[in-house]
Amino acid sequence: MFHWLEKRPFFFAVGVFIAIAFAGLVEIVPNFYKASQPVVGTTPYSTLELAGRHVYIKNSCNACHSQLIRPFKAETDRYGHYSLSGEYAYDRPFLWGSKRTGPDLMRVGNYRTTDWHENHMKDPAGVVPGSIMPKYTWMYTNLADIDTAYAEQITIKNVFAVPYNKPIPMKDGSTSVVKLADTLDGAHASALEEAKLVTADMKDQAIKDMVEAGNIPEIVAIIAYMNSLK
Amino acid sequence: MNKLVLTGIITTIVMLAATWMAVGGSKGGMNDDIVNLLAVAGAVVLVLATVFVVLKYVRQMQDDTATGTLADENWDGIGEYKNELPMGWAITFLLTMIWGVWYWFVGYPLNAYSQIGEYNEDVSAHNTKFEAQYKDITGDRLVEMGESVFLAECKVCHGLSADGIEGKAADLNHRISKEGVVHAIMNGASNLKSDFPGGMPAGLNYMFADGEIDKVAAYVAAGLPASDTEGAALFEKGTCTGCHGASGEGMAYAGPKLNGFDIATVASVLKDGKKANIGTMPAFERLNDKQIEAVGAYITSLSK
Repeated sequence: MFHWLEKRPFFFAVGVFIAIAFAGLVEIVPNFYKASQPVVGTTPYSTLELAGRHVYIKNSCNACHSQLIRPFKAETDRYGHYSLSGEYAYDRPFLWGSKRTGPDLMRVGNYRTTDWHENHMKDPAGVVPGSIMPKYTWMYTNLADIDTAYAEQITIKNVFAVPYNKPIPMKDGSTSVVKLADTLDGAHASALEEAKLVTADMKDQAIKDMVEAGNIPEIVAIIAYMNSLK
Repeated sequence: MNKLVLTGIITTIVMLAATWMAVGGSKGGMNDDIVNLLAVAGAVVLVLATVFVVLKYVRQMQDDTATGTLADENWDGIGEYKNELPMGWAITFLLTMIWGVWYWFVGYPLNAYSQIGEYNEDVSAHNTKFEAQYKDITGDRLVEMGESVFLAECKVCHGLSADGIEGKAADLNHRISKEGVVHAIMNGASNLKSDFPGGMPAGLNYMFADGEIDKVAAYVAAGLPASDTEGAALFEKGTCTGCHGASGEGMAYAGPKLNGFDIATVASVLKDGKKANIGTMPAFERLNDKQIEAVGAYITSLSK
């Protein structure tokens, strides 16, 4: 058998390739599969959170803010537990970022709150002296794009089997369900419901009135997204 | 003398000359330095050895003729001699196998580098050092430590001077604001669940007549001064004393201290976070006990 193989360089090369590729398969695939599974407690984004994520991407927040905490003491002291790959299971695309002009936002929901974001987005330097972050005043008037967020949810549910409407295990042993509406109107209604929870903690009466009238400004969506980053 | 040896001698001279020039031409030259001398001596030895070995093998290639028995295998006319495996090779091969077994099953698993492992070592080393260094600090040093923790963790919302940045967060230079008292009376307060599990019920305003809430709130916000007898009477009338104590000094498991900050009150807020008339403050689980004590000491020192 080997005499035959040794005289045929092409088939010999194929044999070598298969042997090495198999080793790679055995080494890489199980690890990769394991690491890419969602960490317990990681949930997919709700409609409003996803719309907020779109606002985040649209305004290039990731150009100045990373979402990746490295395992160094100085970082975990400031930002919390280092990031695990499974925590990005529902991030498409992930927003690791490559430069920190501003701080990391991977777990900002743990240590900033709705009212702080409201003040901060309006005038960052008014809250953090010396901050060079620009004011994002248009977020208080532009409306969040719920349609696109819902379309993305439907797509990732069908294509990537993202577990909407299914029980997801949480850290405390309970399960939680991220609801996805059946219709676009339903998605608008549930996003509005979520938005009202956010505006309950906000001060700006204009924003509260907008949401009460059924319009969701970008600021509400991005705050919902920020609060979901834990 | 044949041509080959001549070539060897010329090569040796050229290489030694090149070495000499390279060293002599370099900045500082030999500089009477023993290290430089040794380096040059090493270079000379290397040149001589190289030339000697190369000469030996070139000669061998010129003179050698093949001997021995041929192996049966033959590839397009290219054969191979049967040679005994040199003993050195055989021993090295066996040793390598033994080393390989050791490396795969003992050496690598025990010494493998892990980034998370390094991180864990880092953190525990730091924590040990921190504990040893700061275990016993008190007084001004504790307050100083509290200030630096405050500047790192708290100032983003409460501001550099802890004044709450024009009402965007609680003003920590005073225990509680008048608005805060009114809010607690109307809406209750059950933030500090760990230390005060019962919480304060909402709607306690039914205890007061019109305008009295304002007066009792002003009394509490002013730090429950003994001079304000009217406020004190209302404080008792509203049954505030039942949980917060006769002079607002607080009561374990019932109600927090109102007549000023202390470390325990600050620790309760850091443990559970807080939601009241101004907004929401998250819990700060990331601070260790000493840091919490220090922040408490710093905040207490602000209103003194």
